[in-house]
Amino acid sequence: MSSMAILRMDRVSKHYRSNGVDVPALRHFSRDFEPGEFVALVGRSGCGKTTLLNLAGAMDFPSSGEVWIGDQMTSALDDAGLTRLRRTRIGFIFQFFQLLPTLSVAENVELPLLLAGAGDARTKALDRLEWVEMADFAHRMPHQLSGGQMQRVAIARALVHSPRLLLADEPIGNLDTTTGNLVLNLLRRAASERGATVLMATHSPESTSIVDTVIRLRDGVVEEVNHPACTV
Amino acid sequence: MHRLKLFHRVILRPLLAEPSRGLLTLVAVSLGVAVVIAIDLAGFAAAGSFRSSMESLAGKAVFEITASSGIPEETLGRLATLPLPLRFEPRIEEYVTDEASGVTTSLIGIDLVAHAQRNVVVGEQTGLEILDNPRAAWVGAGLGKRPGEDLRITIQDRSEVLQVAGVFTEQDDGAQTGPNRVMVVDFPVAQALTGRAGLVDRIEVGIPEGLDEAETRAAIEAVLPPGVELRPFGTRTDANRRMLGAFRWNLRILSGIALVVGAFLIYNTISVSVVRRRGEIGVLRALGVTRGGAQLLFLAEAAAFGAAGGLAGAGLGTLMAQGAVGMLAATVNALYVTSTPGTVALTGWHLMASLLLGMGVSLVAAFAPAREAGSIAPVEAMARGRREYDVRVHAGRNALWAALLLAMGAAFCGLPPVDGRPLFGYLATLLLILGTAMLLPLLIVLLNRLTQRRVHSLLGVEALLASRSLAGSLRRSAVLVGALSTAVAMMVSVGLMVGSFRETVLVWMDNQIQADIYLRAAAPSSPDNYPPIDTAVGDAIAALPEVHAVDRFRAVSLMVNNRPATLGFADSQMMRTLGRTSFLPGQDREAILRKLPVGPYVIVSEPFSQKHDARPGDTLRLPLPDGPFDVTVLGVFNDYSSERGTVFGDARVFGPHFPREEVTSLSVYLKAGVPLEAGRAAVEQSTANRRVLLFTNRSLREEAIRIFDQTFAITWALEAVAVFVAVMGMAGALVALVIDRRGELSLLRFLGASKGQIRGLIYFEAGLLGLISNTVGLALGFALALILIYVINRQSFGWTFQFHWPGMLLLGALSLIYAATLASAWFPARVATRLNPIEVIHEE
Ligand SMILES: Nc1ncnc2c1ncn2[C@@H]1O[C@H](COP(=O)(O)OP(=O)(O)O)[C@@H](O)[C@H]1O
Ligand SMILES: [Mg+2]
Repeated sequence: MSSMAILRMDRVSKHYRSNGVDVPALRHFSRDFEPGEFVALVGRSGCGKTTLLNLAGAMDFPSSGEVWIGDQMTSALDDAGLTRLRRTRIGFIFQFFQLLPTLSVAENVELPLLLAGAGDARTKALDRLEWVEMADFAHRMPHQLSGGQMQRVAIARALVHSPRLLLADEPIGNLDTTTGNLVLNLLRRAASERGATVLMATHSPESTSIVDTVIRLRDGVVEEVNHPACTV
Repeated sequence: MHRLKLFHRVILRPLLAEPSRGLLTLVAVSLGVAVVIAIDLAGFAAAGSFRSSMESLAGKAVFEITASSGIPEETLGRLATLPLPLRFEPRIEEYVTDEASGVTTSLIGIDLVAHAQRNVVVGEQTGLEILDNPRAAWVGAGLGKRPGEDLRITIQDRSEVLQVAGVFTEQDDGAQTGPNRVMVVDFPVAQALTGRAGLVDRIEVGIPEGLDEAETRAAIEAVLPPGVELRPFGTRTDANRRMLGAFRWNLRILSGIALVVGAFLIYNTISVSVVRRRGEIGVLRALGVTRGGAQLLFLAEAAAFGAAGGLAGAGLGTLMAQGAVGMLAATVNALYVTSTPGTVALTGWHLMASLLLGMGVSLVAAFAPAREAGSIAPVEAMARGRREYDVRVHAGRNALWAALLLAMGAAFCGLPPVDGRPLFGYLATLLLILGTAMLLPLLIVLLNRLTQRRVHSLLGVEALLASRSLAGSLRRSAVLVGALSTAVAMMVSVGLMVGSFRETVLVWMDNQIQADIYLRAAAPSSPDNYPPIDTAVGDAIAALPEVHAVDRFRAVSLMVNNRPATLGFADSQMMRTLGRTSFLPGQDREAILRKLPVGPYVIVSEPFSQKHDARPGDTLRLPLPDGPFDVTVLGVFNDYSSERGTVFGDARVFGPHFPREEVTSLSVYLKAGVPLEAGRAAVEQSTANRRVLLFTNRSLREEAIRIFDQTFAITWALEAVAVFVAVMGMAGALVALVIDRRGELSLLRFLGASKGQIRGLIYFEAGLLGLISNTVGLALGFALALILIYVINRQSFGWTFQFHWPGMLLLGALSLIYAATLASAWFPARVATRLNPIEVIHEE
């Protein structure tokens, strides 16, 4: 049992009840995710990628099996415990960037720290903005940014509290290829330079070339696991 | 047909999906409508009741003959000699109290042998022998008596026992007069009971069809002695109605406030509807729905809210009216004329009015948002528009409009009343409210800018998010603040007005009430009705060793320039030396009072001066019992006891014009050193066989203030409803805000917000809205109070009062409102914390 794993999923299944019908969204998924690992979840729409990310991010509980984030099992925690977990260990990135329109760029980035009541918010926020090369835009409002810029801000925000787990749901699904690659590179660096475990759900085949692991899902079941980086 | 489908898809279905929001709006509208309807119904019942069954009993009279203090009985004989086929019905009228039930009612003396309505009262079979009993009384069924029972009444300063000879059930045709509680006795019996031997209060004149009215009138007037006048039947009732007009108008306007607050909330609901379905509207426009079609959709939504709210409001209003009518009747009684509350009946007309009111207000409120919907371009179907939309409020341009409206409002304050009504004052109030509402966006933006940095380091991240999101959805928050601050402002302004009034009255009473003991007859009294006390009572008290002086006051109700007024007279030198009546600034009290007894001079109360435009030096013609009497006004004195208006003169000047000596109240000054209790005991003993009410200096003040407070109870009730509507609306709007921003709230959960923080955020928003509303409301309320006191009140009632801050009361009310605002966030906060973030965030 590797206590080193940032995220450990053990025979995790998730079923939704939709109109009285039982929908299995994820079935018997087991895997340990290591620090610095960049994982791509691929598969067609509805195969269970988002479900997996939500489970990994302590936003949802498995129907059966266990999800361990560090030494904490999610289903054993109450809402306060889950919130604490999110505040310290997890960063989220979304397809539609999800910046708060009424907050400036810098305020958006420092938000997780403010919510967690952590100190030094502004310094850390500016540092992360520097890291995603958006420091010059710190005082802009979100609607003054392009899509790629917004996503970079979102990445800075997801990293502001130095989470060990970065969960990205289709982060480049709404971006053109060039901007998308920029974002992909940032995620790659987040894994390599900052040692975060990055789980990314994606549609785009080219994005899989720079990840460590590709997990292909089909109807909630793992179909194939690749390590493209190792084959080089 | 497809319009209906569209309405169902775009409006109905989303509404049904969020029933709480729709319901709250509905309640707000129906409460607004209900208050207006309730006040109208209750006002009508309270005012309608002085028409009383007294009139209907007479059948159809055309003229009536009256005099200020009784018509000499011989007049009847002279009238009988007229060679015309006229019917004359003499009557005596007096207000009495049924001691068993405490009910105030009228005792009417009619000629039970010859009266046209005899059968109605005594029954057809009954013969004349029933008139042998000098205590026989026939009573309306509303009194709940049975034949043979004793009927103990307080009449003037005595208690008398009558016997119920019969009960009559006849109701008059007007439904508004309430249960019939009239007591009828034979004419001579009434004369004996009221002490008006040889006198008649009123003679009703019926003229047969075909007789020329003008000629008949001239013929009758030719035989009338001086001081007795002929006038169209119902003149007094009409005059009373007119007098009550201002009072009822002010209530109507106040009740309208709740509706204005409701309008804000409709505006909010429709705006939310439009904003929420912007994308959908874009698609519809792209698919060929016209601009007008899109507009119509949302106007229809408003109309539906209005219709449903209006109907519900009619029902609710009827219920509320039942509660209000007693309060209103008490006020009418205290300030104007004797009245007993009538019944509240919802008429088809009121139902229609509710419906129209609800729909009208809703459509007006929905006009702007519907236009917005119409202006949505088809391309916006593709754009994610909401964010920009909210920024589009033109705070600056609105502020310009606001300045214009406020300036207009200020200008209107200087304009004179129209037909005795402060129309421009009301308009100024409305303009001020609208102007302030238009100023709000700028205010919120400025406030947000001011707190840009500091807010979260001081109050936490919830405060930052709350203040930003309020500024972010500017239009919505401005409307909410508008609704709540309007309600608060009305409360504050009415609080300031009533508080100032009350304080002024207290100070005035301190001056006015100088005697140690006051007495008046126990029978019902009001500003139009002063039951007399036997003159012997005053003499007996004056002879007591404890007593220094007795001021004998006589009040008479009369008509001056076709308006009801009171003529009072007493020993003005006692008033000069012992009393402290104060005059308007610049008038020499001492000189005026010295001059009063030496000629045809009077002083008039401030309301009288306002209503009749009577100033020192002006001449008035008073209809005294022995004919018109011209007097000169010497001064205007402060008086807050009645709104009718009082003319005061010296007893030496006015007494001789009246057929009999009479007194209506006594003020007793004790000798120096006599303890109040001893004096009071002595006076009590000397009046032991009389039904008089005895007040000490202090109890009279307390009684006056009790009446004052009771008078304004209805005002407070109205305010409370307006505030309640606003707070309800706040809850509804916050729910909408939560549903609208569920994506954002869910995102916060992803970013590490706890449920407590989400809840805190909602409470913070409510708190901020409440704070801004209270502050703005306080400022606006202050301005409105100035208009109420110095324009509306002065123009419609004629009172001046000193400005006074009822500090604790306001503080209490504002805190209560603030607490209610916070409490209104409970439900929305619950909705917010129960959102499932993962479902919401992936919806987008
Ligand atoms: N809240 C939910 N209720 C019911 N079914 C759901 C819910 N969320 C996801 N599903 C179903 O679970 C399956 C996996 O969904 P998801 O994880 O969102 O797939 P992906 O992200 O790979 O497109 C799908 O069949 C989807 O319809
Ligand atoms: Mg997905």
